[in-house]
This record gives sequence, structure tokens and C-alpha cells, in this order.
Amino acid sequence: MAVLDKKKSKVSDKVPSSSMADIAFLLLIFFLVTTTFPKDKGLAIVLPEEGGEVAVSSQNIIHIIIQPNGLIEVQRGESQNVQTTPANGIEAIWRQEVSTNPNLIAAVKTHPGAPYKFMVDVLDALHTAGAERISLQLFEG
Amino acid sequence: MPIKSGGFERKSQASSKVPDSSMADIAFLLLIFFMVTTVFQKDRDRPIVWPAAEATQKIDEKIKNILNIWVQRDGSIFINDRPYSMGEVSAVIAPLYAASDRALVISIRADREVQYNTIDLLQKQLVAAGVVRVVFATELEQSMTRERR
Repeated sequence: MAVLDKKKSKVSDKVPSSSMADIAFLLLIFFLVTTTFPKDKGLAIVLPEEGGEVAVSSQNIIHIIIQPNGLIEVQRGESQNVQTTPANGIEAIWRQEVSTNPNLIAAVKTHPGAPYKFMVDVLDALHTAGAERISLQLFEG
Repeated sequence: MPIKSGGFERKSQASSKVPDSSMADIAFLLLIFFMVTTVFQKDRDRPIVWPAAEATQKIDEKIKNILNIWVQRDGSIFINDRPYSMGEVSAVIAPLYAASDRALVISIRADREVQYNTIDLLQKQLVAAGVVRVVFATELEQSMTRERR
């Protein structure tokens, strides 16, 4: 029995190190492939070309006037009736209006002193409602 | 009859093999060198408070084709880490836009409290420079946070 115990093991007791570099490169390539850089995000719009003014029938325009305090006045076409709403009411108004007139254009008129975030809120609501014909203007008068 | 090599035939002691055990080390050294020397063409973030929007979308454009215009709360404008006045924006953007073969997308990164007047003037400058594609950079707003507001 004692003789058997003295048998030398044929298995090497060293960890194979020749393929270590291969493993390192494999990990490297894996992380290279799986890394994604954070993409820029935001609300995309298309600016009009310079001098490209288009005459639009006033029936097809819905005026959205943004006041400095964040209240929004909605005025449809030629009617003088003004409806006041918070920004989150725009989405429902647009959906309702566009179902009756598919050619509707949203004219977003922001007061010069109004914070940018209110304009973004309205633009957000219009984007959420699927509006594509949006005109960004400055409110005058 | 001449004797070859003057009669001395000595075996070369130097190995004829190129040592390849340190090849990986050399590769890593090169890798680290290039990692350290690479500079990404990216401007530093300015301190702004982002406006939030639920309809925020990812911009489907290469990073090198996106130019950021930062508008801070006080209305100051920064392009590529340099401050510009409103009147200069058009002249700065126009050559960059032409150089990009009209593929440039302008990302307006404005503070949420900026007066809209500034944004309107900026848009007019961009129109004058011939830019068509503009993005109002926003943070994605979860509907949960909107309900709480």
C-alpha cells in the first residue's frame, strides 16, 4: 500500500499560462462589441428654409399661445374664442381637432419672456399626439 | 583546395527563432498607448437643468454629425466649449454645416428656465445658416413623474 502512495502524479501542477493573452483579448473584444455609448436624445424638429414662407388658410391653423406663467391659450382658426388649458391638455385638444381637420397646423406662439420649458412641454404634448405640422413662432402683440 | 571558413565551423549560439512569448505584452502596450493618446471630439457639458419631455426620442445620427449648442440659464451660448454672442452663431455654424455635407444635426441644449426669446433668436440664426435638422435636447420624462408633478 505504501508503494502506491509514492506514485508521482502525471498531471502538471502548473496553471497553463500560454493562453492567458487569448482570454484577455477575448474579454476585450467582447466588451468592445457590447459597449454602447449613450445616444443624444431630444425632440426633433425641421426648421423651414430661409424665405420659404407658405401661405396657409387660417381655417387650418390652431394657435397655441404660451404665456409667461405657463398657461396656454388655444385659439382655433378664425374664431376669437380662447380656451385656456395647462400643457397636458394640449394632447387631447390636438387629437380632437385633427380628427375633424387632417390638414391642421399647430402654430405654437411663445411669449418672449416665457421659460423654454413651457414650450418644450407643449412640443412634447404635440409630439405625443402625433402632430407633425408644427410652426414655432414668437408671440407678438 | 581552400578550406571552408578557414577550417572553423562553429555552430551559432543564437537561436534562429523570434521570441514570441512577449508578443501579447507588446500588443497590450500598444493598446494602452493608443487608449491614452485618443481624444474624443466632444465638448464638455455645461451646467444646465434639462427640460423633460415624454416624447423624447433617440437621435438617429452619427455622433460626429451632431453639434451641440449650449444655452445656459443666463442666456450665454457655448459651441465647442467656446462662448459666442447671438449674432455670431450663424457665421460659426454655416461653415461647419457646409463641411458636413449638409448632414449636420444641431442639438439645442438649453436650460429649462431660459427665456424663449433667446431660443427664438437662436432658431433664426440657424435658419440663416441654412440648417434644417434641429433637435431640442431633453431628458426622458417618465409618465410616473409627470403624474406626481
